[in-house]
Amino acid sequence: MSGPGEKKSPKGPRSLWSDGWSRFRKNRMGMAGAVIVGIFYLIAALAPVLTTHDPVEQGDIPRMRYHAPNQQHLLGTDKFGRDVLTRILYGARISLLISFIAVAIAAVLGSAVGAAAGYIGGIVDAVLMRIVDGLLAIPRIFLLLTCISLFSGSVWLIIVLLGLTSWMETARLVRGQVLSLKGMEFIQAAEALGVGGRRIVLRHLIPNTLTVIIVAATLRIGRIILIEAALSFLGLGVPQPTPSWGQMIFSGRDVLLSAWWVSTFPGVAIAVTVIGYNLFGDGLRDAFDPRQYV
Amino acid sequence: MLRFLLRRSLQAVLLVFIVLTITFILLQLAPGDPMARYYNPEIAPETVELIRERMGLDKPVAEQYLRWMGSFVRGDFGTSLRYNRPVKSLLADAIPNTLRLTVSALFLYIVCGVALGVASAVRRHSLFDRVNTVSALFVYSIPSFWLAFMLILLFSLKLGILPSSHMQTVGAGELGGVALFLDRLWHLVLPAFVLGVSSAAGMARYMRGSMLDVFKEDYMRTAKAKGLPASRIYLKHAIKNAALPAVTIIGLSIPFLLGGAVVTEKVFSWPGMGSLMVDAIYGRDYPVLLAVNFVVSVMVILGNLLADIGYAVLDPRISITGGESS
Repeated sequence: MSGPGEKKSPKGPRSLWSDGWSRFRKNRMGMAGAVIVGIFYLIAALAPVLTTHDPVEQGDIPRMRYHAPNQQHLLGTDKFGRDVLTRILYGARISLLISFIAVAIAAVLGSAVGAAAGYIGGIVDAVLMRIVDGLLAIPRIFLLLTCISLFSGSVWLIIVLLGLTSWMETARLVRGQVLSLKGMEFIQAAEALGVGGRRIVLRHLIPNTLTVIIVAATLRIGRIILIEAALSFLGLGVPQPTPSWGQMIFSGRDVLLSAWWVSTFPGVAIAVTVIGYNLFGDGLRDAFDPRQYV
Repeated sequence: MLRFLLRRSLQAVLLVFIVLTITFILLQLAPGDPMARYYNPEIAPETVELIRERMGLDKPVAEQYLRWMGSFVRGDFGTSLRYNRPVKSLLADAIPNTLRLTVSALFLYIVCGVALGVASAVRRHSLFDRVNTVSALFVYSIPSFWLAFMLILLFSLKLGILPSSHMQTVGAGELGGVALFLDRLWHLVLPAFVLGVSSAAGMARYMRGSMLDVFKEDYMRTAKAKGLPASRIYLKHAIKNAALPAVTIIGLSIPFLLGGAVVTEKVFSWPGMGSLMVDAIYGRDYPVLLAVNFVVSVMVILGNLLADIGYAVLDPRISITGGESS
């Protein structure tokens, strides 16, 4: 507990985080991205409050299907008479869940591999980095499709597979950071004091690469949302009837001309969300990239 | 130079083997027995044993691995479970179609990307530049199949000026010559655009940054001081130097183009490797799946190799004998 006398002076040294945050706040595009991402989270959380329709239940199909946007159904209805807006709102949940967890898996795995390769070096580094090269040589969607077909399963499996096929760039990034940090005095000092390898990695190396990891993860979330949409589009993503944006776009394929709203609006939702994440990520990078402010 | 070529090629070969190994491990990890579909009371156990032996599945894993590796390197990918045709012949049909699509997209995106990037850099902070930046962000953030749907809706269904699927009009094969070529070109417009547009955005962004960096160079100031006309400065000095690093971007974009081809081919019913892959997944056709993976990866590795060599050959500032890594 800090007493009144110990109150931090406003001109004292500021942490990396508050420094970066104040830079970020001045970035209008980045802030706009943060707001979009925030709204996306709110929608996912409040979907049942925001709409009175049911996202899954099929109504009186012959009478309710393919209604053009109107007062009751602001964005129209789909093939099964379901409210498109409602399904978009609920679709935010699955998008959020998948992208967030997959990116977390990718960030943790990528950091672990990158840090191990960079810190241990030698044969471990060579082997790990060749594996990364090999995995990156297979275009992601092919790798992912192969895995999905070999281990077919549930939403959770898709999330894990998305994570397991997205860590390679983070590993390269972290490895590079660790290599440059390894030569610095504070690491040498820790080593000279006899601090163990695992502790050096966890307490010194990873925290110092954290901003890089977070920025990479934020920018990756947008890509993962797009990849998940592509999987759903190919019929290999989230199983029906869970509303997913990619699947919704696909479902309007045969009625593009007569019921354009079925495909159009979910696409707008994806576009806005991914733009939000990309702006947010770019803003974070500009605020935290050490190379710009050395 | 020769040493660089040799070393870089060896790296590429090593990478091909790593990809093969990863694929083999994936196959081994997959649950389920590849012989499962022969477990049938109507098939005698001896026959099952015979098939198992013929497929080499009775051998130890290490031996299976070596045999599998050997047959893949020789281009023997086995037989498709679904079509009962050699995978090789399926690939022979699909590869040219995918190449036609991806190479067109590549060409399109390089030309458009470079042009837009240069124009943006020359007129930095203008309205044109800002529109460019915003639209780049936009195409980079939308699902390609959605873009495809919207373009089909506009150009094929509403305006009726571009075909919405397939590589050529039914029966166009008999036209031959120029008419067939034009018909195919016409069918290529939408898919190639959809496939190339996000890469074009990336390229434009990169060229813009690269041009702005070049503008700061001393030789640009010299060129201006000499009183050279602006067009000459841009064309002769700036673009040439800015375009060089973009060569590596081309190499990096190949996996994106091939990956994007999966969805694009599906949308436009384009009979390439992406369609082959998706069909193989629906039909659990593992030999086709693995072969497509292999071929696509070899294309990526070759593309990167060519881009690296191209970069080294084009840029005299790089000492190719030096030890650049990763």
